[in-house]
Amino acid sequence: MSESMADHERIDFSKINFLIVEPNRVMGQMVRDVLMMLDAQYLDRARDYDSALTVLRLGRTDVMITEWALRDEKLGRTGMDIVHWIRNDPASPNRMMPVVMMTANSEEEYVCRARDCGVSEFVAKPYTVNAFYTRLVSAIARPRQFVRVDEYFGPDRRRRRSDEYAGPERRLPADSY
Amino acid sequence: MARKKPEFLPPQQDLRRKAVNFSKGFRLKLEPAELRRLEEVVEKAKDALSLDVADKLRQLREALEEVARSQQTDRGMRTIRALSLDIKGAGGMFNYPLLTEFAKSLNDFTKGINQPTPLQLDIIAAQIDALYVVMGQRIEGQGSKVEKDLLTALRLAVERHKTAG
Repeated sequence: MSESMADHERIDFSKINFLIVEPNRVMGQMVRDVLMMLDAQYLDRARDYDSALTVLRLGRTDVMITEWALRDEKLGRTGMDIVHWIRNDPASPNRMMPVVMMTANSEEEYVCRARDCGVSEFVAKPYTVNAFYTRLVSAIARPRQFVRVDEYFGPDRRRRRSDEYAGPERRLPADSY
Repeated sequence: MARKKPEFLPPQQDLRRKAVNFSKGFRLKLEPAELRRLEEVVEKAKDALSLDVADKLRQLREALEEVARSQQTDRGMRTIRALSLDIKGAGGMFNYPLLTEFAKSLNDFTKGINQPTPLQLDIIAAQIDALYVVMGQRIEGQGSKVEKDLLTALRLAVERHKTAG
């Protein structure tokens, strides 16, 4: 079987600046340790919405890995609010930043909500290291086109493309999901 | 109503240009030895995860007591939901998938319940007890028929008595 160029591609994680947003100390440390084993050098950590935005505003983050459920639940702020800020706020330094969401909110309803908020990749907890690595690689090495339609701005939610479809546009605005 | 045409932006290649190459770093598909090394990292975290879950179980009991005393039921139920979600995400990571199952059952049951009835409180307590048994007896993997039957019984109780309060 012939090998493609992609089979030889590598990711130099030491060049990437990560932000890990995880309120659980142990879980956050585990993600950090895995990334360090991958030779990542630049790792910022945050445990809530405000501290995450403080880091993001510095403009050095390449990839954000965030939990959905933050401890700010009382204030109504979750990881989804951070994603919304990245994708839509004029102060966001990179509206097309890859975002990996890791969460125990793993039911289909939550996956759809994350997708419609502009999350690039979704990892359901409990996860395997391989599943995490695969999503991370996808977010970094296989960037998707972005789409702006009505209220939605984020990665193209259609991963498969059909060149044969010739019918009318069927994309729905984000708030209709 | 006329719908706006979607606007497409090409994939951003900056990060790919910065980090993807043909000589240094990890392949897009990990070699078995590399994967083993990463799994060892998670393996090393298992003790810490297990201690963290044990502490959360203690907090769950405290929150339940607070709710049972009819003090700050909103806050107590919010705590129960947050802790059960944490345990749901953690259990399977250190080979306690039953913790994940029981915690999911508890989390699903408590969604939308802010002022539980006495019967609902009993069901919450039974689910917390089940989590304690799994941790206390160190029941790794899927457990025996007893634990499976218990899970089925709890799910039935959850279905029957879940009405928002």
